[in-house]
Amino acid sequence: MITLTINGKTIHANPGEKVLDVALRHGIDIPHLCHHKDLLPSGSCRMCLVQVEGAAKPQTSCGMTVQDGMVIETDTEDIEAMRRDLIDLFVSDHPLTCVTCDKNGSCNLQDYAYRYNISETSFDFELSRPKYYDDNPFYIRDYQYCIMCGKCVRVCDEVVGANAIDFSQRGFETIISTPFDVPLAESACVFCGNCVQICPTAALLPRSKIGKGREWEMSRKQTICGYCGVGCTVEYALKGDKIIYAQGTPDGTVNGEFLCVKGRFGWDFVTSPDRLTTPLVRKDLAYELGLTDEPWEMPQTPVFKGKPKLSNYIPVSWEQAIDITATKLADVVKQHGSDAVGGLTSARCTNEENYLFQKFMRAGVGTNSVDHCARL
Amino acid sequence: MTNAIHEIQDADCILITGSNTGESHPVLSYEVIRAVKKGASLIVIDPRKIGMTEHATLHLQPKPGQDIYLFMAMAHVIIREGWADMAFIEERTEEFEAFQQSVLEITPEVAALATGIPVAQIEKAARLYALGERQNGVSIYANGDGQARGHSSILYAMGITQRSNGTELVHMLANLAMLGGQIGKPSTGVNPLRGQSNVQGACDLGGLPDVLPGYQKVFDEPKRKAVAQKWGVDDLPAEVGLTVVEMSKAMSAGRIHAMYVMGENPLMSDPDSTHVEKAFRSLDFVVAQDIFLNETGLLAHVILPAASSLEKDGTFTNTERRVQLLNPILTPPGEAKPDWEIISALAEKFEEKMGRHRNVKWTYTSTAEIMDEAATVAPIYGGISHRRLQGDGLQWPCPTPDHPGTQYLHAGKFSRGLGKFFPIEVNLPYEQPDEEYPLILTTGRVLYHYHSGTMTRRSEGLDWRVPRGYVEVNPTDAEAIGLLDGGQVKIISRRGEVRTQARIGDRVPPGVVFLSFHWKEAPANILTHDIKLDPIAKIPEYKATTVRLENPKLKRTKKAKAR
Repeated sequence: MITLTINGKTIHANPGEKVLDVALRHGIDIPHLCHHKDLLPSGSCRMCLVQVEGAAKPQTSCGMTVQDGMVIETDTEDIEAMRRDLIDLFVSDHPLTCVTCDKNGSCNLQDYAYRYNISETSFDFELSRPKYYDDNPFYIRDYQYCIMCGKCVRVCDEVVGANAIDFSQRGFETIISTPFDVPLAESACVFCGNCVQICPTAALLPRSKIGKGREWEMSRKQTICGYCGVGCTVEYALKGDKIIYAQGTPDGTVNGEFLCVKGRFGWDFVTSPDRLTTPLVRKDLAYELGLTDEPWEMPQTPVFKGKPKLSNYIPVSWEQAIDITATKLADVVKQHGSDAVGGLTSARCTNEENYLFQKFMRAGVGTNSVDHCARL
Repeated sequence: MTNAIHEIQDADCILITGSNTGESHPVLSYEVIRAVKKGASLIVIDPRKIGMTEHATLHLQPKPGQDIYLFMAMAHVIIREGWADMAFIEERTEEFEAFQQSVLEITPEVAALATGIPVAQIEKAARLYALGERQNGVSIYANGDGQARGHSSILYAMGITQRSNGTELVHMLANLAMLGGQIGKPSTGVNPLRGQSNVQGACDLGGLPDVLPGYQKVFDEPKRKAVAQKWGVDDLPAEVGLTVVEMSKAMSAGRIHAMYVMGENPLMSDPDSTHVEKAFRSLDFVVAQDIFLNETGLLAHVILPAASSLEKDGTFTNTERRVQLLNPILTPPGEAKPDWEIISALAEKFEEKMGRHRNVKWTYTSTAEIMDEAATVAPIYGGISHRRLQGDGLQWPCPTPDHPGTQYLHAGKFSRGLGKFFPIEVNLPYEQPDEEYPLILTTGRVLYHYHSGTMTRRSEGLDWRVPRGYVEVNPTDAEAIGLLDGGQVKIISRRGEVRTQARIGDRVPPGVVFLSFHWKEAPANILTHDIKLDPIAKIPEYKATTVRLENPKLKRTKKAKAR
């Protein structure tokens, strides 16, 4: 265990930990833009400068390993002045279009500009990288807002392992790019959107969010992703009853902030016009039951050759649908015995629903022929 | 999984086999990437050059079905070189000798001859895994448990289990883990990666033909009677029921007359789709309960509209046995209802139609109430209630209300007492390439789609990324029939044929083709078979079907020339 002093407060840390991580954990707010707890420190934004007693100059705390007896000040007048200058520099090539910006309200740069009271740059304004890419349905890249923190590059390398993007060009023209600037779809990008998640500005934004509302108008709800078995926590931002975008949350138990393309962007099937909205009875059965006067026969075309047709069915009430189903199942059981009914429960339904389904098959119908796609 | 997901990033060596982790479990693959970036070794044993191989220390690339040689040879080397954890074996396991005998003749040379993989690579894989050797960096376990051995974790999925000897392969992986003492500790274990959001929970809560909730065998009379008593019935059926594949056979044989299908699409996901369709068409009555009208629903007499997972509460259990709460984000469209409400109404009405007057509870006021009942029935869920799941959820076994849950299994002692070594035989896939069907088809998933595609193909972005099916073909096999990248190709097996686009490249080795099963236009399961299932798990052999490719264009030109 290592003991150090930050802003006069005695703090304990584990060997190898970084000063910034330790400070943040203890509620000491050191400003930072390029730091993320799950990524290696890069020190590129310089915002996390601190003064270590005995050191000649302030140093970045994100890459500074804790040492026993360290005495650190995080917000001396000098350091605060430096941070103010840094933000001033950042906004000298970052348009302060906050009024119309979709990141407004969740932008880290905006937060610091507010904190250091900077409404415009005191330098000459010049855009270094006025490039805009709208080359896929998942997210846009608007590099005029990029501050070169490199978090996108690091998450793509260190967490996702896709290595689809990196720094290219040099000096003032440096830009984040795919190899040879090819569209994302031709790069190694897997569209997980983790770069979008951790981008501190509006350089990377989910497409579904653009123009769809302000951050403070949205409510947020969390649930567990319905795709694979990893069980990621997903947070949905909603405006009214519409999902605007989905993202990870730092307190996600299994996944932290990270998601994959399906979890982050694949939720829109839920509102597909193809959703079933009413109980249906197929026309041949409906005719047999006297629900329609038109006789009808199930076509013999193989399913894979035809198209799903709702016109094969007539809508009925829930009461009718349940009554017909219960009658039919009971008829089969009475006539052929319990084992003449099989049940497929679902790996995409809840525990409670699976429990109830198998209880119905076993204690109701009276068969153990209940299974699901566990093997498929 | 025996172990927890977050432990993976601290592993010293990770062995991935039969899992396309990066595409099928992307977020879990981030744990693997992070481990590798910190210096862990990564061994990938897979017939395809999947994404994870780019990060691998070693990629052993057997043809589908040949991997059994590699695992056995690795065990052979571990024993021969003295890398086995003999203290662990003596203290914690039994029947080691029988297993040792079974791998005696499978030397790395034998395996190399069968698979074409160099002896040195097999030996290296054995060493990295058994000793948990890192590529660089320091193990977080270096000082912790006073052992020189690093911690190695096995991750596997359907590439191991969808085989006619799947159970034996899982036994083999467990043997390897016990051999190296790589189980019962953090960042070790034998970790199956489960494919669907709640496939783990569906199994845990009795959605299987041989077990009641909590894996209590239906033929275990005291346990079955105890469940029956809780449900308010005299007894429950004692005979093991039919699995999904057996059900379609029973339908065709006229033994099953009605099916209740909830949130499944067997027409797309079961082997030999043509047969499955015939089976479903032969039924007197089919009820499908789903969020979309899928291929199976097309054959249903009654369709019940259900709420999706974003529209309901309840719990899912993930692949690391963690039970987590769902919260409704949206309201169900139209008259759609959560599945539990539908089952509940149907069960109630069914009792009435059967003319029964029993005291069986079918009506519940909430999913929390259902979980409370399930907890009294399934001992591994005994301590689980919705109230306790707030926050991080709980990992079963969690037998009592004050139990904290179980992060990893088999710590100190195996669930069954002593860990049992199973002797292993070399068993190869049922269908072997021949002149007529010279290639091996292996099926699986792609990153952007999910199962039978009913959900993902209705997602604008996902559908944009991969709008249609394709078959991966090695350039050698493509050239043999004059097939060009992107060209149409017919894949023909003994069951049927599908037509799709070819994607030519070295992701598959010569002699192997890959087709995912998401595409109703090119349904892979038209080709697969249910002839030889795994004798215990009854899993069809999706990972090895023999096929031949035909280039429709080439045939036409030939015919044209003949004219």
